[in-house]
Amino acid sequence: MSQNRQYELVYIVAPETGEQEIADLHTQIEQIVQRFHGTFDKTENWGRRKLAYEIGHHKEGVYVVETITGSGEMVKEIERRLRVADTIIRYLTVRVDEDLRVAQRRQDERKSTQARRRTARGLPPEPQPGERRGDMDEDDDRMDGVEGGR
Amino acid sequence: MSEERSGGRGRGGKKDDKAKGGERPRGGFFRRRRVCKFCADKIDYINYKDVRLLTPFIPERGKIQPRRISGTCAKHQRALQTAISRARQLALIPYVTD
Repeated sequence: MSQNRQYELVYIVAPETGEQEIADLHTQIEQIVQRFHGTFDKTENWGRRKLAYEIGHHKEGVYVVETITGSGEMVKEIERRLRVADTIIRYLTVRVDEDLRVAQRRQDERKSTQARRRTARGLPPEPQPGERRGDMDEDDDRMDGVEGGR
Repeated sequence: MSEERSGGRGRGGKKDDKAKGGERPRGGFFRRRRVCKFCADKIDYINYKDVRLLTPFIPERGKIQPRRISGTCAKHQRALQTAISRARQLALIPYVTD
């Protein structure tokens, strides 16, 4: 459904804001999410981190990462709020569901091909622990030889 | 491994000029085209928050390392590009360093 898109929201809070204010921001966002019937998947606080460059005379910032599922309107509202709040020095919203789905599909494909090839060679479909590493290294070396010869 | 890598980088500058005189600047004996890191490690999603994954592709100056030097495949270079620009926006990686 187009209404259920997963977003990753990262925002940087000014380092001098207190713990309480950061928590307040978080609950504010949570309320917006609830209002738009979205779901809150995960939140991560990276804590204080040095910025790679100065943003408005700040050299450090508190990073917060939230994973949210919901609609575009919800994101619009959250972004509006973040823009208004002066403790937020930077934010970024990225839609992740499609990319993750593609990555997952590729991983599944890889797994099934591996299983097929392994059964064709008369091996159990799942690689045994300990065996896999050596198998892969051998493969890599062979590839290198071919490339170098050209 | 690190030796090989530095050899590869150096080629972008001096060795290239030398090769131009003769034929196309293709790999010498000691330098082989490196395999795309993301293909080799089977990384499907290049996460912009993973600074440690991105830093090898950002030389001192802060620019994105070109494909011809890093050996990244076209598809992953594109993904890398977006990941780096996102990371830059979040001040995880600098835009420029002098």
